[in-house]
Amino acid sequence: MSSSASSLHDKLNQLRQRFIDQLPARLQLTVGLWQQSQASAEAQARLGPELHRFFHSLKGTGRSLGFERIALLAEQGEAALDGQAPAGQVVEQVFVHLAEEQQRLQSLPEQQRALAAMTSVEFSPKPVQTRSKRQRLIYLCDDEPDQVSQLLHHLRCFGHEVVHFEDTDTFFNAVITRRPDAIIMDVQFPQGNTAGTETLASLNKLTGEPLPSIVLSAHGDFHSRLSAVRAGCNGYFTKPVKPLDLMLAVDELTTPSDEEPLRILIVDDEPEVAAYHALLLEQAGMAVQQVNHPADALTALERFSPDLLLVDVYMPVCSGEELANIIRQQPEHVGLPIIYLSSETDSQKQLSAMTAGVEAFITKPVIPDELVSAVTLRAERLRLLRSLMTRDSMTGLYNHSTTTELISKALAQAHRDNTEHAMAMIDIDHFKAVNDTHGHLAGDQVIITLARLLKTRLRMSDIIGRYGGEEFVVLLKGVSDERACELIDALRHDFAQVDFHAGGTRFRCTFSAGISRFPNHPSTESLRLSADQALYRAKHQGRNQVVTSTEQDDDGLPTDCP
Amino acid sequence: MRILVVDDDPLAGEMTGALLEFQGHDVLLANDAMEATHELDSHDDIALIVSDMYMPLINGIELLHMLREQGVMLPFILLTGDTPDDALRQTPGLSACLQKDAALDTSLERAVAQALGA
Repeated sequence: MSSSASSLHDKLNQLRQRFIDQLPARLQLTVGLWQQSQASAEAQARLGPELHRFFHSLKGTGRSLGFERIALLAEQGEAALDGQAPAGQVVEQVFVHLAEEQQRLQSLPEQQRALAAMTSVEFSPKPVQTRSKRQRLIYLCDDEPDQVSQLLHHLRCFGHEVVHFEDTDTFFNAVITRRPDAIIMDVQFPQGNTAGTETLASLNKLTGEPLPSIVLSAHGDFHSRLSAVRAGCNGYFTKPVKPLDLMLAVDELTTPSDEEPLRILIVDDEPEVAAYHALLLEQAGMAVQQVNHPADALTALERFSPDLLLVDVYMPVCSGEELANIIRQQPEHVGLPIIYLSSETDSQKQLSAMTAGVEAFITKPVIPDELVSAVTLRAERLRLLRSLMTRDSMTGLYNHSTTTELISKALAQAHRDNTEHAMAMIDIDHFKAVNDTHGHLAGDQVIITLARLLKTRLRMSDIIGRYGGEEFVVLLKGVSDERACELIDALRHDFAQVDFHAGGTRFRCTFSAGISRFPNHPSTESLRLSADQALYRAKHQGRNQVVTSTEQDDDGLPTDCP
Repeated sequence: MRILVVDDDPLAGEMTGALLEFQGHDVLLANDAMEATHELDSHDDIALIVSDMYMPLINGIELLHMLREQGVMLPFILLTGDTPDDALRQTPGLSACLQKDAALDTSLERAVAQALGA
């Protein structure tokens, strides 16, 4: 931390300390005022604003200094005073809780307070965000250190940011100040047999939004499990836990369902109407493009790749019906959902439009909810169908043909933009032996794990595909082959540390990889061939390494990744 | 730049002051509208006022009106512990209306830069 940052830090700690120190006196004064105000209606009217101000400022300053529990209590007090119903009981409860909280803060050992201060008030320049969007912030709360280091290691292997807490209080504070994506929690703590799950339950109640959580416990007894269920936990593992199982469970919990917004193309010759419909759909989280002339629709289809077409029936040049027919002439668009927008008088024309393969009719002026749900239903259906055709069911990665197609598209774009890309061919070492020795289920586990690792650690813009049984292809966009080499080598290193389990045995796996560069190799095929040759070298040089091909690959020696 | 911070809660005022000092400004603290006017009279290099809304006797908005009536046209930023409603936000003469929450350091920095740069 820079010196000015550290002096700010000290200053804030001082302010925090003074806040805690002043609280008893302020509370006492205010409770006195409260009691006076209860004596008569006149007193209540007179002292009301001051009482309100007390709660209001406690809320504001408390929140700014990171005392979230106090801020929430003060908020309750403020709301009670604002409300119509007699506030008496609520306010008195708030005072009691405030006093308890103040005592608790006062008694926290000095270093814990400093730690709480550091995690809740961060004014140092924010660190560069190197996490990819799929990497999660996970809080692990466990006071038994034995398995923790293994878990931390595996979770970090996948690139997640993991913070470890040994007691429920610092954990509680941390969740409130910086919300994690998932929690792994032990049930038992020194203060109680179900203290862990109780903390979770109270956190969920306080924040209103339940957090994805997994319980880790040395005990699988009914009582512990019940308390986990009551706390709304999503999983229960008994120790000793296989880190990979926990890892995959966390992954399931935190994978966002569908990151890509639905893409809708609107064709309407009235720009204001098109814009209005676009707005409605964008508010529902979709990406929308508008085209006012039907002739522009074909190019837009090509470039934008929409999931659904919203077409006006009455347009100059050609009707919506005719446009639908033109689009359906192209085999790749036969499955594209098309929804017609028409005004009421066109109801007779609806039948003929249906034969052109139109999915639905919506009459103008539209009812916003109806438009959104009709579009969502059909666009999502197409997405699902498409993914069944384009993705490998076991890993969720793109299948061979889709991967090639996507890479070709990306390279076509790159020719126009003059960008560089790198391709990596990844092949698991001795995979046949894994299947033979440990069984096919174990082999599957290895494949799924590598797929998850790739998905988590690489960016959403990178194209990741499963090329064959144990072969993966990745197109890393916008990076040099050296950088790609570093990235893939880091992945190689981390993958090699993962423990797999089969029956009673534990084993590890490695992979080899070959890297090639665009535009040195300007076509998908040459890029792939070159990466493949580099992979071959990697295998023959002993496996568990990454080799980059150079332009002289055909006649010279390739470079190894240092 | 020299900035005047007005807040009846001394801790809150010091906290706002600390944030502004970290951002490189010089800070003067006042506990109420009277002190605020006094400070403005004694220092002619004050460039901006950051004031709490909820104060006894004369609140933030009342202070703003008072100053404008006196011909003090300095940029004025209002701080409140609640989510500021639109009516408050759109009060003429206000540079910005910010909520005192965990993100105050960034929102204040931005608002100050905007108010001083405008």
